Amino acid sequence: MNEQIRFNLNGKDMEIQADPSMRLIDLLRDELRLTGTKEGCGEGECGACTVIIDGITANSCLVLISQIRDKKVTTIEALEQEALKKGDELHPIQQAFIDAGAVQCGFCTPGMVLSAKALLDHNSSPDENEIKRSISGNLCRCTGYKKIEKAIQIASDYMKKDGVE
Amino acid sequence: MKPSITIGKSELRIDAKDKVTGKAVYPSDIYLDNMVYGYTIRSTMPHAEIKVDKIEALAYPGVIAVFTAEDVTGENHHGVLFKDHEVFCSKKVRRVGEPIAFVVADTMDTARKAAKLVKVAYNELPAVLDPREAMKENSPKVHGDSNIIYHYKLRTGDIEEAFQKCEVVVENTYESSMVDHAFLQPEAGVAYIEEDGTVTIVTATQYPHYDREEVAEALGLPHNKIKILTSAVGGAFGGREDITVQIHLALAALKLGRPVKTTYTREESFQAHSKRHPLYMKYKTGALKDGTLYAMEAEIIGDSGAHASWAINVLRKAGVHAAGPYCIPNIKIDSYAVYTNNPFTGAMRGFGAAQVPMAHEQQIDEIARRLNINPIEIRLKNCFKVGSLTATGQTLEESVPLTDTIIKAAKEIGYEFSYDSNEEVQP
Ligand code: FES
Ligand code: FES
Repeated sequence: MNEQIRFNLNGKDMEIQADPSMRLIDLLRDELRLTGTKEGCGEGECGACTVIIDGITANSCLVLISQIRDKKVTTIEALEQEALKKGDELHPIQQAFIDAGAVQCGFCTPGMVLSAKALLDHNSSPDENEIKRSISGNLCRCTGYKKIEKAIQIASDYMKKDGVE
Repeated sequence: MKPSITIGKSELRIDAKDKVTGKAVYPSDIYLDNMVYGYTIRSTMPHAEIKVDKIEALAYPGVIAVFTAEDVTGENHHGVLFKDHEVFCSKKVRRVGEPIAFVVADTMDTARKAAKLVKVAYNELPAVLDPREAMKENSPKVHGDSNIIYHYKLRTGDIEEAFQKCEVVVENTYESSMVDHAFLQPEAGVAYIEEDGTVTIVTATQYPHYDREEVAEALGLPHNKIKILTSAVGGAFGGREDITVQIHLALAALKLGRPVKTTYTREESFQAHSKRHPLYMKYKTGALKDGTLYAMEAEIIGDSGAHASWAINVLRKAGVHAAGPYCIPNIKIDSYAVYTNNPFTGAMRGFGAAQVPMAHEQQIDEIARRLNINPIEIRLKNCFKVGSLTATGQTLEESVPLTDTIIKAAKEIGYEFSYDSNEEVQP
């Protein structure tokens, strides 16, 4: 039983006909082919499927698309668009992840970057605990987290500098 | 000397940009035209004879095929050291989670639903779930007529006489647990047939060259008709060294002439790949009055589960490292790899060397306590230095920075002791 669902995806208004009980992650990956959102567990444990909904992170494997009506959904693909608009190749958070060596297998990375974005959009100078809390819903099996925390710290510096210019 | 152009310089990893932007392609990110989806049916019993009835599943709308042992075009087996996995179980299952059939349908959802209609009749057999039991003559056998895959022996000095001379002898048994790699990206893959008939499999693997051999043999095709493309790999840690999706996908693509994809759930992932070997470690360690480690005897039994995978290499390494980084002149070590009907174990970070420290280090702590010696000083006294002879007969001639490391670590945690790090320590 398809229904009409309106929402905003990465700055673009969308109107789709779909089964409202479809998982958001399946809409993004299987239907819209935005495969930057990853599925690591399908049950809200790992955070690989993290997206931002109205400024707050959510596990897209636990969100049904009926829940995104009239909301703003941001996926990893939005960050590049944002960067391109400014004439940059990468968003400062993405650059910081590379510079800090926070990327290994990369499967957790899109989710980590989005958790960092949700934090830094609200709080430009987070302290260590705030950074740790911001990624507490994201598992990384490769890095041991230290470099990811460092990346978010560096990203906050980059973004502040960006703001001044 | 010319400065190095590599050492000391940080290189940008070539795939970093694709990974931070979400563009890196993991196997589940691949969607091809005309693609169908496969789901693996796995055993729910540790040891049983089976009969498979796929008629009802084949009639389910959307189901394209159900592959079982009889459909395998080449040898129905694979395995890195021994071919002791079946592509699909033919007569018997030897562990929970062993593949029995592969249901292919027009969507993943349909394949999963139809899988429930494949009837597997089990005739349960006695299972052996403890490797110590499995070593006994009268235990149920997993493959062939003995469950012992491998026995490694290490002998130095005269162990009986040495224990006589010891001031303290400590005996304990240690057990380490079964651990999953839990890499973040569950297994997935896509297989398709190229114009010239080549079977191409895209997957996240640690061993494309091994995979090619295994797929070729199972399909009964020459190597040059099989191509393995390694996608981005979402973590592995040893858990992607054995075959999982490869042969099932290749066989289905070959039979159907269409691209076939599968993506495991986390639960299937746990069932599909190897684990870290649980080790049962019986240790007897003796020291002289002055704290010199003098004799050590260990029996290490590794649970290989239903398949050998890298059991020989893992238990050899456990045996080689069993005495730790200490000079002990009298050694007797026996390590065994043993089949059971448990989930199978294989490569995982450290390859057998990671489990033994909990035993050899706790032994030393206990000796230090009984001799009333500081646990750090007893380690400094006995640890490898340049010139030390290891239990396996190697003289360590190059750098052995263990003494400095122990001292630094001890200072960091606020330990007070009398060793001077600048003092030249003689073996
Ligand atoms: S896939 Fe959604 S939390 Fe793991
Ligand atoms: S980089 Fe592999 S899980 Fe984080």
